[in-house]
Amino acid sequence: MTITVLTNTATPPRVIQRSPLLARVMAWELRRFCASRLFWVQALGFFGFSLFLTWALHAPVNFPQVSNGVQFTGFVAGTSAWGLLRTLPVVLVVLVLLLPFITADGVTRDLSRRTHELLMTTALPTWAYVWGRYLAGLVMSLGLALLLLASILGMGWLLHLTVTDYPAPVIGNLLLLWVGMVLPATVLVSSFGFALSTLLPRLSTLVKVVILVAWIVGALVIPLGLGRTTPPPAWYVNWDPTSGITALGLLPSYSIHLGPTITNAVQLQQLILTVENKMPDLAGWFAPHLLLAGCSLALVLVAALAFKRSRDTFS
Amino acid sequence: MMELTIERLSKRYGQHFALRELSLRCEPGMLGLVGPNGAGKTTLMRMIATLLEPTEGNIRWNGQDIRTHGQALRQVLGYLPQDFGIYPEFTGRQFLCYLAAMKGLPGSLVNRRVDEVLSIVNLEQEADRKLPTYSGGMKQRIGIAQALLNDPELLIVDEPTAGLDPAERVRFRTLLASLTSNRIILLSTHIISDVEAVASRLIILQQGRVLSDTTPEALLARSAGSVWSVTTDQITAMQLQASYQVSTMVNQMHGITLRIVSPTCPHEAAVEVSPSLEEAYLLTTGWQAVRV
Repeated sequence: MTITVLTNTATPPRVIQRSPLLARVMAWELRRFCASRLFWVQALGFFGFSLFLTWALHAPVNFPQVSNGVQFTGFVAGTSAWGLLRTLPVVLVVLVLLLPFITADGVTRDLSRRTHELLMTTALPTWAYVWGRYLAGLVMSLGLALLLLASILGMGWLLHLTVTDYPAPVIGNLLLLWVGMVLPATVLVSSFGFALSTLLPRLSTLVKVVILVAWIVGALVIPLGLGRTTPPPAWYVNWDPTSGITALGLLPSYSIHLGPTITNAVQLQQLILTVENKMPDLAGWFAPHLLLAGCSLALVLVAALAFKRSRDTFS
Repeated sequence: MMELTIERLSKRYGQHFALRELSLRCEPGMLGLVGPNGAGKTTLMRMIATLLEPTEGNIRWNGQDIRTHGQALRQVLGYLPQDFGIYPEFTGRQFLCYLAAMKGLPGSLVNRRVDEVLSIVNLEQEADRKLPTYSGGMKQRIGIAQALLNDPELLIVDEPTAGLDPAERVRFRTLLASLTSNRIILLSTHIISDVEAVASRLIILQQGRVLSDTTPEALLARSAGSVWSVTTDQITAMQLQASYQVSTMVNQMHGITLRIVSPTCPHEAAVEVSPSLEEAYLLTTGWQAVRV
């Protein structure tokens, strides 16, 4: 049995490196994520689902001719602006189902796993711990959002190469909708989940459930109800973080009315091609979506300031 | 000169005092903290480790209040909680590297330090296994290893030998003994023999107060003449057990041999014997503590 006396080492380990603390916390949290098999299964599952949804949308649908009731079949490319407005809110729901499980427990996981005391007795500053955990979760969330972008682009090009009349993805439109809808939603849900769970660690499960239920209601239930009756109010179209109502408000500009000049499916498809990649109207909703994401960062700041290393609970 | 000073420290949960006006002054060396369950040992350690806020009083590290200078203390602190969790995604080595990084060890030192502490706790062979595959004892050794990563000036270990097999316990005691020269070590334990082997100072806590601040030798000396041995039949043994504090009871061929802790001779056949530290502890804490 040999005992190594720590103080005999040449360089004392008490030398504390101060520079990249935030980067250290982030890097190790990312390593922990990457070492988790569950995370990769979730990411691959999400990638597969968004590929499937983009592919499924090129299935032909019927467009009735108003004047004589004749129907022609055509398809709206899932990677066009029109197609994206139909699919993005749905894919976002799936993305949002994953996000709280990635970000919300950034800090509270240590409490539930009882690793909190080990970390809080290190010289790691509180700000580096909280922001490092948040940013690591945000990076993983944005990674999933990028995966969504990649799946749409990849499937779009695949369909363009293999399906007649399928247009190549217009990268500008796609990026615009991704930045205006997916990016703010990702930042908003990640920040909101992290901040609320950090502020209310005992209620972190409830926080996740509330976020998921609220998002499903906002993205699917309300649009289904409103879509069948009156058009949504303009403020709601602009400020809806789920983009469900935003898409509902934008879609009418893509509707086509088949006049008597359209006499066959080929003509219909050409008509769709001229409409589906029209640049979406950004006025009104784009800036509010980014603003909502920015506000959620302020909530993270509040959570970081309110975080206490010492606590009378969670012993 | 490193110094830990605790002044009139209290911790209250509602109307219940976990610690009450506790004062201590610690200099380099090993301080054994013993006491019955609920005596306040873990509360005291968690307050020193800056994990709990005192209700009253203060704790000073080298003269600085740790409530305002907690970071200075944490830079030189090694802490092994009584019960701690792990990251199941990590191997033992990754877990230690992670905590070394969080403790602020320079990147160039991390691997070497991790290898050293793995060697100290005898886990080099299992270092690359995932943590969930570790036994309770191996997990405890990883906990000890992480507490040593930053070569702490103040080492707080709460029940460190719980879950270790006898050989590992002896090894850990030897390790602690080798570390005492230039640091303050606070060792909380229920296993009195651990304290006896390594601690130069013994604090007995009871109901949140210091019952005794002494040395193992002084405690033993104080208990001389208060431990008795008697071999008797089963019925008498049962009667003695009901009336006195029995520290050991061994069934033998010719009867039952009891060791009894009592200031007075418990039986006409009883003979005075040298007390063990455990018996001296029982004598100090009294019958009440044993029943807790």
